[in-house]
Amino acid sequence: MTTPHDPTPDAPTTPTSPGGWNRPSRALIASERAAPGAAARTPYAAAGESGRGGEPLWPDAAAGRTGAGRPDTARDPGAHAPSGDPAGPEAGAAPGDDSGARPTGAPGRRGPADPVRELMHRHHDLCARAVDPLEIAAGLEAHGVTDRTAARFRHRDVFALAEELYARVPRAEDRAEEPADAPAPRPERGSWALWPLPGALCAVTAWAVLRPDIAPPAVRAALGVAGAVLVGVALWLCLSRGPLRIAGRGRAGRLADLAGPLCLGWLLGYAACGDWLLTGLVTGERGAYDTARAAETAVVLALATAPAAGCARWFAVRARRRLTGSRGLEEFAAGVRPLFVLTALGFLAALAPLVLAARLVLRLSPSGTGSVTAAEAAAAALAALLFAARLLAVHGFRAAAISGLAAAGAAEAAVEVTALAARLPGGAPLGAPVARLIAAHGAAVVPAAACAAAALGLLGYARAVLSRASAHNATPGAPDGHTPRRGPHRGDSTHPARCEAPQ
Amino acid sequence: MRVALLTEGGYPYANGEARVWCDRLVRGLDQHEFEVYALSRSARQDAEGWAELPAQVRRVRTAPLWGAPPVRRGGRRQRRRFAEHFGELAAAIASPGGPEPGTGHQADRFANGLHGLAELALEHGGLPAALRSEDAVRLLERACHLPGAARGAQQARVADLLTVTAALERALRPLSLDWYGPGGLAGADLCHATSGGAAALPGLVAKRFFGTPLLVTEYGVRVREHYLEGCPVGPADAVRPAAVRSAPVRTLLSAFQGRLAAEVYARAALITPGNTHARRWQERCGAAPERLRTVYPGMDAARFAEVGEGGQGVSGGDGGAVSGGDDRTLVWVGRIEPPKDVVALLHAFAEVRRRRPDARLRIIETRRADASTEPAGSAPGEDYVAHCRALAAHLFPDEAADAHTVGDNPVSFERLGEPGVPTLPQAYAAGGVVVLSSVVEGFPVGLVEAMFCGRATVSTDVGAVCEAIGGTGLVVPPRNPRALADACLALLGDPARRARLGAAARARALELFTIEQNVAAFRGIYLELMSHCPVRREEVGEGGAPLPFALPAEAHIPGRWTAGRDGDRFGHWLAAPGASRGPQDHTPTWAAPPPREPLSVGPQGSATEEGA
Repeated sequence: MTTPHDPTPDAPTTPTSPGGWNRPSRALIASERAAPGAAARTPYAAAGESGRGGEPLWPDAAAGRTGAGRPDTARDPGAHAPSGDPAGPEAGAAPGDDSGARPTGAPGRRGPADPVRELMHRHHDLCARAVDPLEIAAGLEAHGVTDRTAARFRHRDVFALAEELYARVPRAEDRAEEPADAPAPRPERGSWALWPLPGALCAVTAWAVLRPDIAPPAVRAALGVAGAVLVGVALWLCLSRGPLRIAGRGRAGRLADLAGPLCLGWLLGYAACGDWLLTGLVTGERGAYDTARAAETAVVLALATAPAAGCARWFAVRARRRLTGSRGLEEFAAGVRPLFVLTALGFLAALAPLVLAARLVLRLSPSGTGSVTAAEAAAAALAALLFAARLLAVHGFRAAAISGLAAAGAAEAAVEVTALAARLPGGAPLGAPVARLIAAHGAAVVPAAACAAAALGLLGYARAVLSRASAHNATPGAPDGHTPRRGPHRGDSTHPARCEAPQ
Repeated sequence: MRVALLTEGGYPYANGEARVWCDRLVRGLDQHEFEVYALSRSARQDAEGWAELPAQVRRVRTAPLWGAPPVRRGGRRQRRRFAEHFGELAAAIASPGGPEPGTGHQADRFANGLHGLAELALEHGGLPAALRSEDAVRLLERACHLPGAARGAQQARVADLLTVTAALERALRPLSLDWYGPGGLAGADLCHATSGGAAALPGLVAKRFFGTPLLVTEYGVRVREHYLEGCPVGPADAVRPAAVRSAPVRTLLSAFQGRLAAEVYARAALITPGNTHARRWQERCGAAPERLRTVYPGMDAARFAEVGEGGQGVSGGDGGAVSGGDDRTLVWVGRIEPPKDVVALLHAFAEVRRRRPDARLRIIETRRADASTEPAGSAPGEDYVAHCRALAAHLFPDEAADAHTVGDNPVSFERLGEPGVPTLPQAYAAGGVVVLSSVVEGFPVGLVEAMFCGRATVSTDVGAVCEAIGGTGLVVPPRNPRALADACLALLGDPARRARLGAAARARALELFTIEQNVAAFRGIYLELMSHCPVRREEVGEGGAPLPFALPAEAHIPGRWTAGRDGDRFGHWLAAPGASRGPQDHTPTWAAPPPREPLSVGPQGSATEEGA
């Protein structure tokens, strides 16, 4: 194996003609035959150099690569001087200094036929995983290989040496072990203990508030307020961390920030008193406000936090795992779509027991009639809508989530407005369909239908967009990214004092 | 002259890299106006605030290279343009081939894509959102699966593609900043990027759109740092599994960094590496040798003047005694880290002791006491320090003069600021020979400080050691304790030679590595760039209306008619040697440099005569 820097283009063969060996070479061969290794020491002793303790970093390149066939050059120190080295050994030593311990390739023990092989062996991992020669060069330099070392391997510089190593070492096929040693980043543990908290608090509060026999009304009202505050805190805890956290909040425009809470507030407000209002508007008489039904809706929604978080986390973890395993975007999408369907179905399936549980907890509430079932359906539909919207927002599709919420809210508002318009003089025909609908199915059918339609729409959209890889692009730096502390003098600002500084 | 100083994780921040150098530069060149455009690397850096700025810094603008990108999406037309340009960029970085010259086609594609993206960001914004979108991932995937793509790129999985697009978004974030207005980079006369990579991107954009000359200074080559952080190697080999990236990610990002560096080097008017090592890397990455000019970093010589002069004076007197220093003592100054290879030093010292039993070694750590107690025990460096101490205790037992005195160890570990060594000059002055035993070193600051102190040095041949020390100290191969010991013994036993080498080292350092030298070099470079590559702005009359015929028509001839000639519109004034002088001989009479009447009024005319 010859390199471009080899001074002799001939193939390295042993001279066969008589007189092919000069005198020192013959002496060397003779001494090596007599005692291998003895020849390695003599030149050092003669030169007074002791810089080589058999260090493998300085293998005797010349003796191996070209000197195997030309032992006379192996004796000649000039043959080992680094040719292309700008800072040769002499440059580093003081003038007239001969004790600088320069282990130039003085003839020593005969190295292996291929000195680069040893280097290859030593830096095998580096070379096998390198993606280009420069990476090997950087790594070699970090291991202390300099141009002078490279000169020992008959290379002009480290780059040339790295190129040879890159060409000779086969690339590692490290794809097989990678999924194992790079597991998908898991969401933080322990937060799951919080998930059932809002539901439990809400259920206890509603149970206490709706039992007239346990306390006077004032105490129960106070209990209700305290419970509501606690539920709010628990909800905030659940939503501000874990799988339901929306990263990078507060970076978007101001209007978009307001739109989400507004839509959410409208939907919750309608769930609380929309049916009562609508019934009043249609029938024209003020009915009694059904506290129990509102409480049941609240309990269902609060209880749904736990399955929502669980499903979101399951989906995120599975999708992340698929991300590391997929070879292409199409493959990834094909794998994630069923995952999403399973997630959505799982959440919807979890809603039915939740509704039952809410009904059991609030046993005192009048149950069994059809209208209550419609109200429960409305609560479940609202829960599904909120889940879909949150899932979309978590994965970065906040605008879509808000528009879904807004669509449901608009549908509900339209019904209310129609009913109101029917009360105006001459508007009675407008209200007829609404009145008929309510008479047939009860007032709760309006939010149930609106939320269910919006939820279905959002879920369908989510199935399409959440199968994109970019939706699962979790940025590790996001947590610290959304709360930049800005000092008064920092930011994209000019220095007021500096600007006025005189020239 | 308005100089835009472009930094990344650097200057105005209190904990930035190369902050001291930039500060000295800005303070030294107070006849220019500076505007600092800084990219911060982390929230922590942003929170720690700025250093104090001198009055010639007129304005500071910062932008983060971390955190979530601003979300703003473009319309359909922008998406189409983005797809076109990003596709080109992605194809260029997915294709095989290093950044070395000779891969012109891919370099062109990369440049086209990059400048297209810059244009898009300048006109419409929304580039970060587009880079994070599904479109970008899809384009990158397509580029990776092209027939000619690199092998590593072809193995990319979806997670790799996402990592790469996120990294590209962060790297290209300087393109979509609002720095390019008339009050910003458009009005600057010179862009001085203090490192390659992201910091040079705004300069590249300014060069492209406003013709502002770009000067790139690199003390550590960005491409090399990128390789090293992508694959944590070195004797330290600190276990950082999070930093180990998969092969496709490394392939694509290395290609991006390499091609970006090549583009920056190609467009820069001048590149000033800090040492020959950096210069070799830059040449390897495609920098033209005629535009490279090594400017050594400057260090404060005044601190070491007392020790340095004192050492010279006394040693000049009787040749043996070195002031303050004990001539049996070897001194090692630095941070005790695996790349410094203190273990080899201890082994070498064991050999020295064997032959000179009265020798002593003082290992002086420069890390601040409070900084190291803060992460006590948890820092990976602490293990190494403990290991070194244990090794020293094992190799060298305590010794006492007789049976009644308290013993002492020939190897002492001290920390800078302790009563024994209150200041850095005193640390160097404490011994007769200063030793450097690193296996990895960039520019050896400690060695140069020792040179300023007039100490004889023994150092290992790593990084820029050889070119810093010149012939004024002993150099041994790295990881060779016996050679190190021999060199130390040679110096310990020869005081006259030690004094001679110390004086030579100090003279060399004073000539090459002072602040004044550094600042003067940049002053000259600034003026040179301003005179050779002026920004061509439209001449504006009194009322703000454009002045027709303010410049002669010949001023718009492609290529420079004042110096050299070159074909591309980026206008390098440094042509290949030989073509630089004497365009007048070959210029036809009709194209001879005309008298520049509107521009040269009196004094300039005489200057031209002088030049001719």
